[in-house]
Amino acid sequence: MAKNAIRPRGAGAVRFYAALWAAKLSRPLLKITRHNGTNFPGELALKLCPDFLRYMARPEKIITVTGTDGKTSVNNLICDMLEGAGYSVLSNRLGSNINSGVATSLLAGCTVFNRCRYTVGVLEVDERSSKRVYPSITPDYTVITNLFRDSIMRNGHPEYIAGFLTDSIPPETKLILNGDDLISVSVAPGNPRAYFGLTRLDTDVTECVNRINDLRICPRCAGKLEYEYLRYHHIGRAHCGDCGFESPAYDYAGTDVDYDHMTMTVRDAGGEGHYRLLSDSVFNVYNQLTAIAVMRELGMEHGQIERLTQGLKIAESRYRSDIAGDVEVVMQLSKDRNALACSRVFDYVSTRPGKKELLLMMNNLNDEKNWSENVCWLYDCDFEFLNNDSVTQIVVTGPRAKDYYLRLRLAGVPEERIACVRDELEAAELLKLESGSHVYILYGTDSTCMKIASQVRERVIARATEVSK
Amino acid sequence: MIIEALYPEVCNLYGDLSNIRYLARSCGAEIVNTSLKETPRFVTEDPALVYMGTTTERGQELVRDAFAPHLEALRRRTENGGVTLITGNALEIFGEYIQDDGGNRIPMLGLFPTHAVRRMMNRYNSLYLGEFEGMKIVGFKSQFGHSWGDVGQGLFNTLRGPGLNPDVKPEGIRINNLMATYVIGPLTVLNPPFAKYLLGLMGVEEPVLAFEDAALDAYNTRVTEFSDPKRGLTY
Repeated sequence: MAKNAIRPRGAGAVRFYAALWAAKLSRPLLKITRHNGTNFPGELALKLCPDFLRYMARPEKIITVTGTDGKTSVNNLICDMLEGAGYSVLSNRLGSNINSGVATSLLAGCTVFNRCRYTVGVLEVDERSSKRVYPSITPDYTVITNLFRDSIMRNGHPEYIAGFLTDSIPPETKLILNGDDLISVSVAPGNPRAYFGLTRLDTDVTECVNRINDLRICPRCAGKLEYEYLRYHHIGRAHCGDCGFESPAYDYAGTDVDYDHMTMTVRDAGGEGHYRLLSDSVFNVYNQLTAIAVMRELGMEHGQIERLTQGLKIAESRYRSDIAGDVEVVMQLSKDRNALACSRVFDYVSTRPGKKELLLMMNNLNDEKNWSENVCWLYDCDFEFLNNDSVTQIVVTGPRAKDYYLRLRLAGVPEERIACVRDELEAAELLKLESGSHVYILYGTDSTCMKIASQVRERVIARATEVSK
Repeated sequence: MIIEALYPEVCNLYGDLSNIRYLARSCGAEIVNTSLKETPRFVTEDPALVYMGTTTERGQELVRDAFAPHLEALRRRTENGGVTLITGNALEIFGEYIQDDGGNRIPMLGLFPTHAVRRMMNRYNSLYLGEFEGMKIVGFKSQFGHSWGDVGQGLFNTLRGPGLNPDVKPEGIRINNLMATYVIGPLTVLNPPFAKYLLGLMGVEEPVLAFEDAALDAYNTRVTEFSDPKRGLTY
């Protein structure tokens, strides 16, 4: 059971309740004035009372979800499963994952007398916000999906983020960790823990084909790690020939992954369950396995989890497909400034069936307003996946189009397959839109880029429809 | 022709290894990787270039320990004019010490008369514009520490952005053909004139870069952008 909130006393109580009521009052005011401030109530509360999170009422049980990739998907799956099982779930799925977003969610879930109306809290927590969240909230479980290289500017490298989490997560919290990710495994070694992982897949290799592999040496003795199987980057099972260090045994093993029939078996000490896969991308198989591991930790039977899984979907906000004329137009989020996320997308897209035409517009346009996007990540990213005969055309655009062009050339993509133009809407005109093609518009996360990507999509759909007439 | 990459299993952050991939592709050199448990090739041979890139904080200490027995060999190589390039926080490994957040001094190799101060909660991000041998240098900095010490003219003369630390103009360190800079990532790809200069030092006559026109086009655009006083420098 999550550690209870501390009861404020004396002047602290006055301050806390003033913050609570002011923040509560701000919610209807924001609605009336049509301001979409998902963080504002929490920001206000923390400003008025810096210890606000310590005093805030909370659900009896708290699960936090963190990690580089997949935390939103996992957080949503856990919420959906728990709600399906009849729990009243407090989450920040509609808000932000930093401390003010967590405060905003807790605010929304409590009465004016600071009583929580929910029994379970499922909170996505940004890795770098953990230092601000965990001193005040002790989760029963913390899920770490994976730790990868992320933004160069913000996150540095995954070892740094692992250290951050180790220093922040309370010692009594049980960790639910990706046993195929030895960087996650290294977090908070003294905490109780359970591991999930996927047994060998047909597509696994033993030597890394990616530019990024952040765990090439043994964390214990710095000897060379040997991988029994490697899925991508440093995800797989490894051991050290020098000192005997090895990946942990799985408590929850995803096995017999069958993409043809879209099924997976999950085995653990209590038996096994047979699950329908929610997605054919291995990233989402991990996300689903993670959520199943959490349900098992909470004491649910496989049969119940199987039933809860039946009606679920992985949120498709990051992937949208339309048929226009003779082509499929796909909007695919490809996290800008994140080499690993883009590598995963390139790998996925390049192995889809059929001919593909790509429009790359993952430039961070908000960065461009103030300075110039740091493009070092392009050289950590596997553009080599796009050097594939099924990728018949790549249009690069935006302020960094020339950098993309050079990177693609260095990746071996023939000159005749690449078009380069600064203006995004002009880029939409350069796509060939050949009959039967799948057109992927890869866009980034910043708000300006998303707006322009939406215009580009409309233009491409209009052109494709026109061409087919 | 051989380019030796020192400890790429840990010195591989931020696209740094593309520095030597690009040079090798432009001149047909072979890249030889030396791991932490191996003796570097330059101790007994004379690679055209020895390279070390950015690493983690743990990596800095692993590299220090692995490299310490070979420091004298690097001194000799440098005195003899051997070409060595060090980028990002690998520069700090060759200073006297790194002071961490707790004020502890972590001894380093002591080749450079510098020391670094590391602030793990205060990551520093900046664009960089400098000059070197009459050519403009553009690049990015993203780091937890800065260095202090008398490095003379340094490697680059800063036009915009931080030098060895934000208060000084000299950026990086140069001893003969040993060059160290805090600028991270694909420095040679982003700076074709500098890449050609390095190839020249390595003994390539009339070097031609891979996709030189495309590289120059991107470089000229970036030089113009970074020279614009209205463009912000820090992130």
